[in-house]
Amino acid sequence: MKIGFIGLGVMGEPMVRHLHAAGHAVAIWARRPESAAALVAEGMQLRATPAELAARSEVVITVVTASADVEALAFGSGGLAEGFAPGSIHVDMSTIAPATARSLAARYAERGVGWVDAPVSGGGQGARDATLAIMAGTDEETLDRVRPLLEVLGQRIVHIGPPGAGQVAKACNQMILVSILQACAEAMHLAAAHGVDLAAVRQALLGGSAASRVLETMGAKMVARDFSAGVAARLHHKDFAILMDEAARLGVPLPVAGQAWQQLNALMHAGWGNDDTSSLLRVLER
Amino acid sequence: MDVGFIGLGLMGRPMALNLIQAGHRVQVWSRRRASVQPLLDAGAGDCASAAEVARRAPITISMVADAPDVEQVTLGPDGVAEGAGKGHIHIDMSTIAPAAAQSIAARLAVRGVIALDAPVSGGEPGAIAGTLTIMVGGDEAACAQVRPLFEAMGGSITRIGEAGAGQVAKACNQILTGVGVAAVAEGLVFAHKSGVDGAAVREALLGGLAWSRVLENHGRRMLARNFTPGFKAWMHQKDMRIVLDEAHRLGLALPAAAATAQLFNAMAGSGLGEDDSVAMLKLLERMSGCVGE
Repeated sequence: MKIGFIGLGVMGEPMVRHLHAAGHAVAIWARRPESAAALVAEGMQLRATPAELAARSEVVITVVTASADVEALAFGSGGLAEGFAPGSIHVDMSTIAPATARSLAARYAERGVGWVDAPVSGGGQGARDATLAIMAGTDEETLDRVRPLLEVLGQRIVHIGPPGAGQVAKACNQMILVSILQACAEAMHLAAAHGVDLAAVRQALLGGSAASRVLETMGAKMVARDFSAGVAARLHHKDFAILMDEAARLGVPLPVAGQAWQQLNALMHAGWGNDDTSSLLRVLER
Repeated sequence: MDVGFIGLGLMGRPMALNLIQAGHRVQVWSRRRASVQPLLDAGAGDCASAAEVARRAPITISMVADAPDVEQVTLGPDGVAEGAGKGHIHIDMSTIAPAAAQSIAARLAVRGVIALDAPVSGGEPGAIAGTLTIMVGGDEAACAQVRPLFEAMGGSITRIGEAGAGQVAKACNQILTGVGVAAVAEGLVFAHKSGVDGAAVREALLGGLAWSRVLENHGRRMLARNFTPGFKAWMHQKDMRIVLDEAHRLGLALPAAAATAQLFNAMAGSGLGEDDSVAMLKLLERMSGCVGE
């Protein structure tokens, strides 16, 4: 399949390599072309604008940071919408607001272009191992067309519902992940205050009802006091702004998520935004 | 081994049965006489008091509700200490405050009894299946000596440290499961209010970094609207109170645990205390004007 790819960060770079290795005709666009040099050397074509990329692609995948980035790539000047032929599909794998995803889907539909919001969970490791969990918001027919691509990138592809639904699932994912991470930090903080061996506590808890992937991976980082990212905390902080906005809009009280959000604010204030979110432990220790 | 068991409730009964099943000779006593019968039917020896249990078995186990109950059956009149011989080991598997466990251990030591705190995680299903997670605090040699008993009741046995350390690990466990239950309930209410299928969301999240045993098990029960205990909300409320009392005593900030404790308070106050902890979902639905099934 002819695939266009935008967003060559920690997540995007291994993802685009998997697609290329799977035999797809991959072209890329990058705001800073020099950042694409290695991939071009590996045989991927570089295009001058998102519009040019869209014009030669059946499907364009984007993995960027914020709602505004995706909007600009899609409908900005020289954006994807200018190049897409009817019947092509934009698969956005960034984490953005559900409302933005719904609005982009509606604008594309007017032009006969398909949309999939397909945010992921699993982090850089999941991207490298192609074991991402992918949450899709689109119609069934569109999902069927891009499913072979998603299967190259992830292990668990779940169709959540119509456009925007994938982003709702991702918001739930971030809420549960960071809330549990905050709980892990608090548990470690309590154990440390008692002078108890943190590694033994983590080990014991992994066998029981308190087991979680967060306790396993980020709990290990807390025990080792290795706060290097991982997933940079500023990204979780950004995601929380999105989901707490949605909560306010919908009138949904999220007391635990709200509390975790404030701790993320404190983490950012401490200057640890580029460190791992397991730094929530350090916020408690200050 | 010869072992005594005190407290035959939802958790204690299947644990004692598993000890019998594994070939240990078990003596029992319980405050509620009716709860003893199933154990006697399975071959346990009947005792008139905790002291008599300790006279007949060099190792005793208690599984009761809270710290005052543990004090009563160990240090109170007709308690374990009165019947205990030289080198007696008492294992308390209840969930109580770490400070209380340390204090009880110290007072038992004065009377020649070695105390272990060995709280569990895994709930009634884990107790029945003999797959409990057991977190042990106390003397290392004593812990090694009673290990065959732990193995009859649990799947994962970890010695955390000295007296009270098992209860510290259990407090950590209750922070993670309590906040986890609230986080999963918030996720499902958020999905529902956004008009999205909660079952599909759970399914997707199980594949990613948000995976947890709580999302898997408690999440399934929330979606099935099965609020039958399991682990009653008022018990989790009690455990969160222990956590926050400790936090207060130690001068610790535990913001997510504190928010969660307030939610458990609201559950107890609004008639959800006898439901399973997963009724947290009902509480949040009421707060948000969602109508459940």
